[in-house]
Amino acid sequence: MALLDVVDLKTHFFTRDGVVRAVDGVSFTVEPGRTLGIVGESGSGKSVTALSIMGLIPKPPAKIVEGKVLFEGRDLTTLSERQLEDVRGRQISMIFQDPMTSLNPTLTIGTQIVETVRRHFDVSKAQARKRAVELLEEVQIPNAAGRLDDYPHRYSGGMRQRVMIAIALSCNPKLLIADEPTTALDVTVQAQVLDLLEDLRAQHEMAMIIITHDMGVVAEAADDIVVMYAGQIVEQAPVLELFDHPEHPYTEALLAALPQLEGHGIREGRLTAIPGRPPDLIAPPPACRFAPRCPYANDRDGCATHPPELRELRTGHWVRSQHPASERTRAGAGVPA
Amino acid sequence: MSTSAREHEVLAPRPTIEPGASGDAGAPIQQTNLWKDAWYRYIRNRGAFVAGVVFGMLVLYCFIYPLLSPYDPDKVDFSLSNQSPSLEHLLGTDRFGRDLLTRTALGGQISIGIGFAATLVILLVGVTYGSISGFVGGHLDNGMMRFLDALYGLPYLPFAIITLAIFGTVNFWTMVIALSIATWFTTARIVRGQIITLKENDYVRAAKALGARWYRVLARHLLPNTLGVLIIAIFLELPGVILGEAFLSFIGLGISPPDASWGAMASDGRVVYRTYPYQIIIPSVAIATLVMCANFIADGLRDAFDPRTRET
Amino acid sequence: MNEPLLQVKDLNKWFPVKKGLLIERTVDHVRAVDGVSFDVAEGETLGLVGESGSGKSTTGYCILQLLEPSSGSISFMGQELTELGREGLRRARRDMQIVFQDPYSSLDPRMTVGDTVGEPLQIHGVGTRRDRTAKVRELLDVVGFNPGFVNRYPHEFSGGQRQRIGIARALALSPKLIICDEPVSALDVSIQAQILNLLKDLQGEFGLTYVFIAHDLAVVRAMSDRIAVMNRGKIVELGPAETVYEQPREAYTQALLSAVPVPDPRAMKQRRQERRRLRHALAPEG
Repeated sequence: MALLDVVDLKTHFFTRDGVVRAVDGVSFTVEPGRTLGIVGESGSGKSVTALSIMGLIPKPPAKIVEGKVLFEGRDLTTLSERQLEDVRGRQISMIFQDPMTSLNPTLTIGTQIVETVRRHFDVSKAQARKRAVELLEEVQIPNAAGRLDDYPHRYSGGMRQRVMIAIALSCNPKLLIADEPTTALDVTVQAQVLDLLEDLRAQHEMAMIIITHDMGVVAEAADDIVVMYAGQIVEQAPVLELFDHPEHPYTEALLAALPQLEGHGIREGRLTAIPGRPPDLIAPPPACRFAPRCPYANDRDGCATHPPELRELRTGHWVRSQHPASERTRAGAGVPA
Repeated sequence: MSTSAREHEVLAPRPTIEPGASGDAGAPIQQTNLWKDAWYRYIRNRGAFVAGVVFGMLVLYCFIYPLLSPYDPDKVDFSLSNQSPSLEHLLGTDRFGRDLLTRTALGGQISIGIGFAATLVILLVGVTYGSISGFVGGHLDNGMMRFLDALYGLPYLPFAIITLAIFGTVNFWTMVIALSIATWFTTARIVRGQIITLKENDYVRAAKALGARWYRVLARHLLPNTLGVLIIAIFLELPGVILGEAFLSFIGLGISPPDASWGAMASDGRVVYRTYPYQIIIPSVAIATLVMCANFIADGLRDAFDPRTRET
Repeated sequence: MNEPLLQVKDLNKWFPVKKGLLIERTVDHVRAVDGVSFDVAEGETLGLVGESGSGKSTTGYCILQLLEPSSGSISFMGQELTELGREGLRRARRDMQIVFQDPYSSLDPRMTVGDTVGEPLQIHGVGTRRDRTAKVRELLDVVGFNPGFVNRYPHEFSGGQRQRIGIARALALSPKLIICDEPVSALDVSIQAQILNLLKDLQGEFGLTYVFIAHDLAVVRAMSDRIAVMNRGKIVELGPAETVYEQPREAYTQALLSAVPVPDPRAMKQRRQERRRLRHALAPEG
């Protein structure tokens, strides 16, 4: 059985200007021990998806209007706040983007870890402290025992992110959700943190969801990838398959828009940009949400009238488009070497 | 060799996705106004909304009713004196037989007038001091703030009394000055803080990079962005000066009769407190209402301009 | 014209570290920029790349004299900027401009788009009001921003659109040099490409010289002719873009390049294995 099964999740924000359909019918599964990467730009709904799973969306404007979040068979959307609090930290943990603001600056690192441990386990303070030192050592904080009573401002950005990871792992959750865990970090530290996450994931036999806008990060860290655009999943595939054969025009465009590190004629050439900008989620395009920016959109195929369904193009590779790459090539649009 | 993403480009050429002829010439993504947003947040705050309405009605009453009133506020008629509130005199009459509904409104004009005038003076002095200190920074800022710290030690009311004594007479403007002289410090602090925060914004750096002179940066970029803070400051200072004026009038240092602010009316009412309590209760309630409303409004404005400070 | 447009020699910017309660003493200095030298020829783009704290943005600000350098020489169009008086500097500013990183704080929220883009013209008294209005519309058009929205406020627009406004402002006085301080770091990938293309087009059309500052190595590569790699205030390596990226001499540059995530799962997994092997080699006890 899948560890996490998200079924047709819809999270809408009810604002004065209208209903923002931030997540509009998203389904995916996470198997135990695997890492799922959710890739998208701002406004794609990737973070709201993660927060919806945890029940951390701000309840007045936001609401899960439809769908199920089945964790080990249990639908989290039906749980009360108290029950969710028991799940958070213990079964499912989350780490956030900005380590500067995720840690309480007025409490020592030790206090924050101990607090989490004692919330879920009935142990003494001394035992919790011992566990805290173990955790800091696990995330490779040098001189862990000595640094337990330091305040967050004495830690660097990379170290704070490790502390966040330590706190998230303190209760041995089955699933770790990492929302842009490396975005605020320097490139050299990013690699270390990703390595750490992978090692810990393997050791603790956890599943992981990594949310990011960075295709490089997801190429490294994920086993399976979900590409989100305007609140929907537009492509879903295992990592090698996705990068070898991207199907959806958006995925292709995203990859093409990335500046290359090596090659010729880079300085002189132009980058292939995607025209326009992501749609307004209050009134998204009626059918295919990418159509206004898609180079293959046309009326003949009903791009503006019939919303494309997510269909399985090949085993394990799902695409939501009338014009996936392989169907285009077969129709003679491209010229194989 | 691995089939990297780039090799795919060789096998099946990527589509060339060119930007539109004039790039992202798109329409604005949102049409709301910062002020409109703040307004909506404000009126959703029930306490602030009610306070605003009451405050508004009180001010209207004070400035409009005397024009409509059938009674002459200064006319002395001992035959009508000390009448309790009735249908003819909704708030009764004082010991000189003067209609209190009218006199309370007139008193309100003075109290509110002095309140706003003093607040304006406080704002002027505070903004000048605070913006210079915050804008220049460095040692000047240090010095100005230390000086301010010393001034905080001045006792507000005794200082106001001394000022009045120095002036000799007590009229509208001497009262305004007396009340503002020892209380502009908080506003100066607030403005300084705001300017220091705003200074860090890139648009200030941009203005400097364009060659803007310091006074342009201050006048065009910094001060207009402190408007939100200033509006809040008005309603924060108002209670203090109103109560200050009320107290001074109460102890007899107010504007000379027959003009009487609420404080003076309360003082008159104190004399006959045991027999005609309404004569002190009415001006006191008026003062209290005005002050409370101002507090709620200040709170509401603060939340409206910065929703993060609200407790959910 | 063989002399470089911009010559930076031994630029230093040190920030004092103060201690003490009543009387603050300077106990040490943070060397944000530590002996930086480079030239920029007219029409070229020099990329300044480095991680956070490397001093790249501080260098940019010092060039424009937005920060006063602690020492060093900055020669722009033959003039020594550090020796100019206030008026001289003001005049020099017409030729050197800046595009900022944060599209949300680089525009005054209380000024309309038109006022913002027109401000440089107003400050330097260029043309009549009608001239300025026309020029503003022209500038907005050039950067791909609809001139019809000239009376709107910045908060009504997206990050990419705001960056275009900022670029229009920088172009208003027809500068020779533009310092681009992380101009696309706050933008989505799909918008980044639009803005980078725009900057390239503008460079060709107006003969601009750029100092392009960023932490994203691929972005810097796409824009630059020559690249300076900075670390802790010093330039670690400086050379033509292709050479620096494909045959880096310094260990730091190599480490930086190998850490950049690329959208290639096999290469990334290979790197991970390399790193693991390195770690085990360095700590055999595990």
